[in-house]
Amino acid sequence: MAEINDARRDQLNMPRIAPALSPPFSRPPSRIAIRRVNRYEADLSALLFETLREFDLPVRDKTVLLKPNLVGLDPLGMMNTHPAVIAAARETFLRMGASEVLIGDGPAMDRDTQAVLESIRLREYAGPLSRIFVDLNIDAVERVELKTRASRFKELYFPKTVRGVDFLVSLPKLKTHHWAGVTLSLKNMFGVVPGGCYGWPKNILHWAGIDRAILDINAAVRPDFAIVDGIIGMEGNGPIQGQPKPCGVMVCGDDPVAVDATCSRVMGLLPEKIKYLAQAGTLLGHIQEEKIRQLGESIESTCTPFAVLEAFCHLRRNASGPVWNLNCL
Amino acid sequence: MHSTPAAPDQSAAANGIDVASFVPKTCLAYLRDAQNDDGGWGFTQGLESRVEPTAWCVLALHEFSEGPGVNEAAARGFGYLERTQLPDGSWPATPGQEQGSWTTAPACWALLAHREQAHERLDRGLNWLLQTTPADASRWWRFVRRLAARRSVSSQSDQLYGWSWTQGTASWVEPTAYALIVLCRGPEKLLSNDARKRISIAQKLLLDRMCPGGGWNCGNPMVYGVAGEPQVVPTVWALLALRNSGTNEYRKSLDWLEANRGNVQSLASLALTKIGLDALGRSDPNLDNSLAASFRDKDISVVNVPAIAWTALAMSSKRNWLKLTMPGETS
Repeated sequence: MAEINDARRDQLNMPRIAPALSPPFSRPPSRIAIRRVNRYEADLSALLFETLREFDLPVRDKTVLLKPNLVGLDPLGMMNTHPAVIAAARETFLRMGASEVLIGDGPAMDRDTQAVLESIRLREYAGPLSRIFVDLNIDAVERVELKTRASRFKELYFPKTVRGVDFLVSLPKLKTHHWAGVTLSLKNMFGVVPGGCYGWPKNILHWAGIDRAILDINAAVRPDFAIVDGIIGMEGNGPIQGQPKPCGVMVCGDDPVAVDATCSRVMGLLPEKIKYLAQAGTLLGHIQEEKIRQLGESIESTCTPFAVLEAFCHLRRNASGPVWNLNCL
Repeated sequence: MHSTPAAPDQSAAANGIDVASFVPKTCLAYLRDAQNDDGGWGFTQGLESRVEPTAWCVLALHEFSEGPGVNEAAARGFGYLERTQLPDGSWPATPGQEQGSWTTAPACWALLAHREQAHERLDRGLNWLLQTTPADASRWWRFVRRLAARRSVSSQSDQLYGWSWTQGTASWVEPTAYALIVLCRGPEKLLSNDARKRISIAQKLLLDRMCPGGGWNCGNPMVYGVAGEPQVVPTVWALLALRNSGTNEYRKSLDWLEANRGNVQSLASLALTKIGLDALGRSDPNLDNSLAASFRDKDISVVNVPAIAWTALAMSSKRNWLKLTMPGETS
C-alpha cells in the first residue's frame, strides 16, 4: 500500500491545503465551486477538469486517493456515489498530473466489497480495478492516536493507504441521514475505518456517538479536497432507504467543512443546526458563508429543499420545507 | 505501494470443474503462496497476518489435508492462532488490539479441527464466548430502549441478544451466527443450562432479525418501516447457525438464497451461496461453473484470502468442517 507518510510529506515539502486542526480565525477563506449538471451521461470529466483547474491543487506527480461513498449493494444506483462521478474524478486528477489515482472505500454494511463494486458496475466506468481499487476494510492498518478526543476514543486503527497517500479526496453523495441529519464529505470518512478491525457495520462508531466520531476521524485523516455527487441525491430516510432526489449539482472545494456547509444550504438546511457540522466549524474548517469564497453557481439558484425526517425539522432553513412522511411508506 | 495479489491459477477451471484438481491447483496453491512467515494469513496476499483470515485458511487446509504440503501449512496456521490467543481466551481482530472480538468464534472453529492438541485453548475460547455479552444485553440498555420505545425506528425485539463484532457494542447477525455455530460444536461439558439458555436467546435473535422477505443483512430488517435488503454473506452464516436449531422458521431465507443465486457474481458470495445451499439440501450444480467463471475473470478486483478459503470449503464434498461431530468422534 502507499508508503508516503507524514514525515515523508514534510521532506517533500508537500503541504496539505490547510492544517487539519486550527480555529476559524487562523484559517484562510475556503474555496467552493457549485457546478450545475443534470445528467450522469454529461461530460463530467471535462466539467471537473475545468472546475478543479481553478483550485491549483498540488497533485502533480503525487498519489491521490478518491474515497467514494460505497455503502452497500446498489443495483439501482440510489445510495452510492455514482460510478460516472468516480471515473470522471479519477480521469481529472490524472489529467492534472497525478502519478497515481487510487479508489478506496470500506463499505459499512456489506463485507463483500467485490459484490458492491459489481452491483454499481464501477469497472465499466473506471476500467480494470485490480491495480487501482483498495478495499479499505481489509487493508494493512496502523494505530493512530487521536488529537481531538471528541468521542471516547483515544486511538483508532486506520488503513495505511489512507495515511500514506499525498492527497485525499472525499467523494460522497448528497444525502440526508437518519441519525446525523446529512451525510456528506465528513460523514463519508466513516468508510475509512476498517471493518477488518471493527466489523460490518462499524458499530463502535455509533456507540461512541456519530457526531463526535465524525470529528475524531476527520481530525485524524482530514480530506484535502471534496467533490460531492449531487446530480441525484437522496432525501428522507437516508443514507440507504431514502428516495432519489434530483438536485443537478456537483459541489467541490478545498475545505470539507465548507463543502458540507454549502451542500446543506443547497439542500435547504441550516449547517449551524447540524450538530457535527457546527462543531467541525470550530476546529476543522469554515461553515460561515462570509468565510467561503463562492465560485460557479450561487446557493440560491441551485437550492433544492430535501425532505427530512420529522426529527430533523429544526434543520430546515424554511419552516415550510418538506418533511419526510413515514406514514406514506 | 498498492500491491495486487496474483489471481489464482485458472488452468483447472478453464476446462470445467474437476474438484480433484481444481481445489489443490487453484485454491490451496494460492493459500500456500499467500501464507506469511509467521504462519498466519492477511486479508490479502502480502499483508500482515490477522486472526480471521488465518482461521478460514486453517479450516480450508484441514478439509483437504491429504494434499501435498497442506498439513504443514495448516499446522503453521494453527501455531499462529495459538500464539495470538489473548490471556482471557479470546482473539483480537488485529495485532496490537488488547480486547477480544468476533474473531474468537472463527478461531475456535479452526481449533476444533485440531481439538486433540488444542482442547485447553479451545475451552478457554468457548468460555470467553459464553461469558462475554454485548452492550445491548445490559439491563440499563433495555431500560433506556423501553423509555425510547414510543419513537422506536425499528420493530426488532430489544429483549434478545447475541454477540457483537467488538466489545461494548450491540448484537449483529454475523458474529452471533459464528458464535452459535462453534458453540454447538463445542464440548458438551461447556453447555450448562445457562449456556443453553444463552444459545436459545441468540437463535431467537437471528429469527427476529430476519428480513421480512427472507434472508438477513447485517442486522437491520426494518428501519423506519422500510424493509431491509438481505445479503448473501450474513444469510448463509445465519442459516448454518440455525439449521440444527429445531425450527423451520428460517426456510423462507433458504428460499431467498436459492432464488437469489442467479444475481450473485462475486467470488465470496458465490462460494457462500454454494456452501449454504449444499448444507441445507438444495445443491445447484451450476454454481460450480459460476465459481470457475469467477476464477477465469482476469480482473478479480478484490481477491481476498477468506474468499479463496471459502471457495475451497465450498468445493469440499466431505464437508467435515460443517459437521456437528468430527470424523472419528462419537459425540
